[in-house]
Amino acid sequence: MKEIVRVKLENEMDLILAHKRAMKLCELTGFSLMVQTSLATAVSEIARCAIEHGQNAVLILGIDVLTGGRKILKIVVQDPSDFSGRATEAIFYAKRLVDEIETIKSSKETKIILKQQLNFGGTITDTKVDTFVKYFQNEPPLSPYDELRRKNLLLQDLADKLKESESDYQVLTDTLPIMMFSVNNRGVISYTNRWLQDYLGATPKELTNVSWQNFVHTSDYSQFSKDLSNAIQRQVALKGQYRFREKSTGEFLWHILSVIPLKNEKDIVTRWIGFIADINAQKLVEQTLKDNRGLKEAQEQLFINQRELQQKIIELNRSNYELEQFAHLASHDLQEPLRKLFFYSDVLRKRYATIIDDAGVTMINNMNLAASRMKELISDLLSYSQLQQQKLEFEPVDLNAVMEEIMRDLDFIIRDKNAKIEVDALPIITGNKLRLRQLFTNLISNALKYSKKDVHPIIKVSIVLPEPDRVLINVRDNGIGFEDQYRERIFGLFERLHTRDQFPGTGIGLSICKRIAELHHGTIAASSIVNEYALFEVTLPVNQNLNLALND
Amino acid sequence: MTDHCQILVVDDDVEDHLILSEYFRDIGKERCVGFIENGQKALDFLSTIPSEEPLPKLIVLDLNMPIMNGSQTLLNLKQTSRFKNIPVIILSTSQNENEKRKCLSFGAVDYMVKPCTLEEGRTIVDHFVTFI
Repeated sequence: MKEIVRVKLENEMDLILAHKRAMKLCELTGFSLMVQTSLATAVSEIARCAIEHGQNAVLILGIDVLTGGRKILKIVVQDPSDFSGRATEAIFYAKRLVDEIETIKSSKETKIILKQQLNFGGTITDTKVDTFVKYFQNEPPLSPYDELRRKNLLLQDLADKLKESESDYQVLTDTLPIMMFSVNNRGVISYTNRWLQDYLGATPKELTNVSWQNFVHTSDYSQFSKDLSNAIQRQVALKGQYRFREKSTGEFLWHILSVIPLKNEKDIVTRWIGFIADINAQKLVEQTLKDNRGLKEAQEQLFINQRELQQKIIELNRSNYELEQFAHLASHDLQEPLRKLFFYSDVLRKRYATIIDDAGVTMINNMNLAASRMKELISDLLSYSQLQQQKLEFEPVDLNAVMEEIMRDLDFIIRDKNAKIEVDALPIITGNKLRLRQLFTNLISNALKYSKKDVHPIIKVSIVLPEPDRVLINVRDNGIGFEDQYRERIFGLFERLHTRDQFPGTGIGLSICKRIAELHHGTIAASSIVNEYALFEVTLPVNQNLNLALND
Repeated sequence: MTDHCQILVVDDDVEDHLILSEYFRDIGKERCVGFIENGQKALDFLSTIPSEEPLPKLIVLDLNMPIMNGSQTLLNLKQTSRFKNIPVIILSTSQNENEKRKCLSFGAVDYMVKPCTLEEGRTIVDHFVTFI
């Protein structure tokens, strides 16, 4: 039914209004005065009963379209209570005045419906019906009472609609999986939806009074409070990502917080509204992507490093090969012409002595000395380059026997310098005898060489056992020593601390010592006080682990 | 020059041929020595000696030689029944312990270093002629 106008039925005044409106609608719809009067009378009869016996009765006037397009005037009197029992008489009268009367009862209300068929239904179009509605809306009030009634009715209607939309809104906000709230300008939280209360486990009052520290992750809190105070101070919107604690699980999940200030027409913030939405899944995906990216970068770096390493190995192999070539060159091709030089100078000195004068002999001798230096250099270099590529064969070595051999070899110079060499009883260790002999020969001949001019050299070879499987052999002299800054450098290839005039040498001896110690998986270190002593500490394993030896 | 030689010196260094032959001449034994440039040539020469004729009484081998080096030649000699009893002395420039050990294990009777002085040269040649 299309409603046109309604009248609340509370008192006599309403009855008059109902009668008048029924008359008017009949007139508008084109009924004759007779029909107008009878219909209005019937309406009055029923309305009177509703006013007298009903609780909250209403009269509704409207037009209904029946099947087949026929239109009828429909007048409904409805009330929450069943007043029809007290209206039998009225219905009886009314029945004679209208086409049809129907009574419908339900648990909610009782309706008495009067129906009158419209004669010229086709002329009553929807637009026409709308003009009827407008007519009654703009109808000048019949009386001050009528005006008041009307305004009340309008207000009531608005209140109902507001209530309805509010309840819709409430349902909506309560079922959304998002936290919503509003805060007044004094900072009091005035509204929170159910999701927020369930998630944080707090009422608006609790949220106002308790610190947010209880709800925000410790790591995010300082940023959160900074952002919040900034927004409040500058009265601007806040948007940020923080972890909020879920009361039921105790877990902190990532959320996005958005708070907007609402301003009145004077541009003053009256309150704030905001929402907190779960973005944990998104964060997890982001983090995973980031992790993957990190992993990928690490992989790429690893790949680059491997390639560099490969390149280095290739370069190293090449330089090892070159070193091998050099060793070959040194062992034969360099020594060969040198040998001839020695030989021919010897022939010159011996066979041609009678025809060469003293100056010539001196030159031949100088040539011989130069050739000797070269021979020494070649032999040291050869020795060192052989150590670079050689794998050592290990056997039990009695270090005492090694020392005795060294003493014999150096016997001449020991006597010459009137040196005293004190050697502790040494152990038998696994090593390469030839190389160990070379190592200690170099150390002891250095000690003899770098002695002080007027002091007889005293060299002490002592032993310390720092660990059960390692020996520490100290070679200490009373010579000129060296400055502490050179303690590392002296082991470098070709490093010499003195000019050849002071001390002859190639600068390879200690490099050889270091290499031999390393080939034995040991170490060598030097320390000194200038003009007091030099101390060389050689640490060697007692046994050579076969695997370690193979790795070298 | 290699006809009926009693000492065969195998060395690619022609200068050394001259130096050594000088010593042999000094002691009047220059006719006892023959020189050849590498191991392969030495083996070829030895194979051409008819079986009724005597073989050299000593072979002196240099180590660093082109085509066939000293230790390879030594192995070949020791693996050939006809030559394996000829004494071999290694005469090398380098005093390499590993090399020395290797050659002695292959069957060389001695390992000597080439001379740097007149005296050394004479000592070496004096030693060689003891095999004649």
